[in-house]
Amino acid sequence: MPTTPSPNPPEAPDTAGADEKVPFHKRKADKVDRLAELMGDREAGSHGAGVWREAFQRMRRSPMAITGAVIVAVFLVIALFSPLIATYSPTSQAWGGEVFPNRNEFVGPRAENWLGLDHLGRDMFSRMVIGARQTLLVGVVATLVGFLFGALLGGLAGACSVLGGRWGRQVDNVVMRVIDMMLAMPTLLLAVTVAALVGPSLTTVMIAVGIAQVPIFARLLRGAMISQGNREYVLAAQALGVRKRRIAVTHILPNSMGPVIVQSTLTLATAIIDAAALSYLGLGNPDASYPEWGTMLSEAQRFLSSAPSLAVYPALGIIITALGFTLLGEALREALDPKLRK
Amino acid sequence: MLRFIVRRLLQLIPTLGGLSILLFVWLQRLPGGPEYALLPDDATAEQRAALRRSLGLDEPLAVQYLTFLRNILQGDLGTSLQTSRPVLDEFFLRFPATFELAVTAMIFAVAVGLPLGYLAARKRGTVLDFAAVGGSLLGICTPVFFLAFILKVVFAENLGVLPSAFRLSPGLSRTDITGFVVLDGLMTREWDVVMDALAHLVLPGLALASIPLAVITRMTRASVLEVMGEDYVRTANAKGLHRTTVRTRHVLRNALLPVVTAVGLLAGSLFAGAVLTESVFAFPGIGSFVYGATQTRDYPVLTGFILLIATMYVFINLLVDISYSLLDPRVRAQ
Repeated sequence: MPTTPSPNPPEAPDTAGADEKVPFHKRKADKVDRLAELMGDREAGSHGAGVWREAFQRMRRSPMAITGAVIVAVFLVIALFSPLIATYSPTSQAWGGEVFPNRNEFVGPRAENWLGLDHLGRDMFSRMVIGARQTLLVGVVATLVGFLFGALLGGLAGACSVLGGRWGRQVDNVVMRVIDMMLAMPTLLLAVTVAALVGPSLTTVMIAVGIAQVPIFARLLRGAMISQGNREYVLAAQALGVRKRRIAVTHILPNSMGPVIVQSTLTLATAIIDAAALSYLGLGNPDASYPEWGTMLSEAQRFLSSAPSLAVYPALGIIITALGFTLLGEALREALDPKLRK
Repeated sequence: MLRFIVRRLLQLIPTLGGLSILLFVWLQRLPGGPEYALLPDDATAEQRAALRRSLGLDEPLAVQYLTFLRNILQGDLGTSLQTSRPVLDEFFLRFPATFELAVTAMIFAVAVGLPLGYLAARKRGTVLDFAAVGGSLLGICTPVFFLAFILKVVFAENLGVLPSAFRLSPGLSRTDITGFVVLDGLMTREWDVVMDALAHLVLPGLALASIPLAVITRMTRASVLEVMGEDYVRTANAKGLHRTTVRTRHVLRNALLPVVTAVGLLAGSLFAGAVLTESVFAFPGIGSFVYGATQTRDYPVLTGFILLIATMYVFINLLVDISYSLLDPRVRAQ
């Protein structure tokens, strides 16, 4: 098998000039790599694009996916353009003189304040709109934290297990024990401990919620990579002498991303809910004047019996957004499931 | 089978060992130790140092860890800094509350989720199916503490039909034998205690059941649908077996396998204590105690409780695997 000790072969397609500078044995290895990739690509490429294109077409026909996509799209538009949509400053207590929580006097929806005022006389609509941006930020960053570290651990374990031989399986074993350890810690308790010990802030919430998701992502990616490792195209690439690192990164990994991407969509929903839970426990952003749906919800619970709408708006925001991401994720999972494909 | 169990138990040792080292190193590295939480703000640096020394926190980390390990092997998980009582005692004081709550929630979830999921699959595409799927999605997406608050406001504060806090009404006398209120009441035939304790379990149990209920409904539905499409179900129908026989012996028995796993894992996570539900309903369980311990930097409690919870979780996993092999002959054969 024409393997090569060269550490970093040129990845760009070879031009005539580059060909002359590269020593012969490297060129040969490179050509083998390219050949394997072309063959792999024809299979994985047409197959892979086909899977995603087919999934997209199936999703276009699914009412679940459309509902989810619409909710997510509306949420994204509100979150991204929130300063333009908000009618007032979310922190301005301009109507403070009209609200008396002690006497149960609240102001409901009216022409100038579309959703009424909160307990400090701030415009509820503007706070909801600006809060959407914070909520999106928490969800996305927490999911990214979980995704990145989880994919790193899971990818390492999966690649080692598939291609690393006996030593690789040992590495896989050690990494999986660490994952098991993290899985044995209850998610929310783990997040609470992290958040409580590092100190309350929005960053803490994002990291805490993200860390709790790491073992799930890791297990998913490792499982997918191991099942891909038994496929013919991996065997073909190995037979053609493609370097192991390249097989893992350009062949197995892209084909294993399906479940991980589905999980990311679902995690966006869980992250938003978990972040709200941490805010409720008082571990969120200590600056309560800056709106975030979780913080707003936990603040409003004091007035749940006298002014339920103060809690219902942020709660509905969280529920609907989480529902949107969940619907989208579930539809994606169904669309990608080979068992359901006809 | 025995070899399998022994091997799994042996695997527990590195997992828990690693977890204990991780917890130990991580907790001690964090800013603001117990000397800040336990002493008043105006305490001098000498006072803080003296407290650290008396707690053994000035020793090298490795020495502290070895001491900790030696104590664990003797069944001593340390003493709570806050209550000055052994961590193990604190755990067993609170575990019964959490256990009763978790069991209540699981009973709600299984009793409603299993039939609902099965019916939704049988009547696929009907209003019932739509409602079950939609309802379970909604259940997953609703923050537990919000649901708990709604239940509390509606049923306890507005309607006043159910109690909203603690395990028992204050002033109720009872005989304590095991710490499990309902069990004690049954054993001593103090029926008023039993009824009172059960009434206190309804609202937190319902709130805690929301997510397991949604998960079980969805899993049962998906699993039954899959099994109903199998060849052996068609064969059984074709050879003229009675409908009920096919449904119970062929469909349900096979469809419930993955659900059993899910129920086990969900129960495992509930025993860890429901921080949110317990704090809304002032329920004196594990979750609220650990949350309190994070506020006061009670290291022994945090380390001890998390280790105990992790051990419990791994044991429940083992039980799930064993029950799985008992239910599924294919797994047993391997």
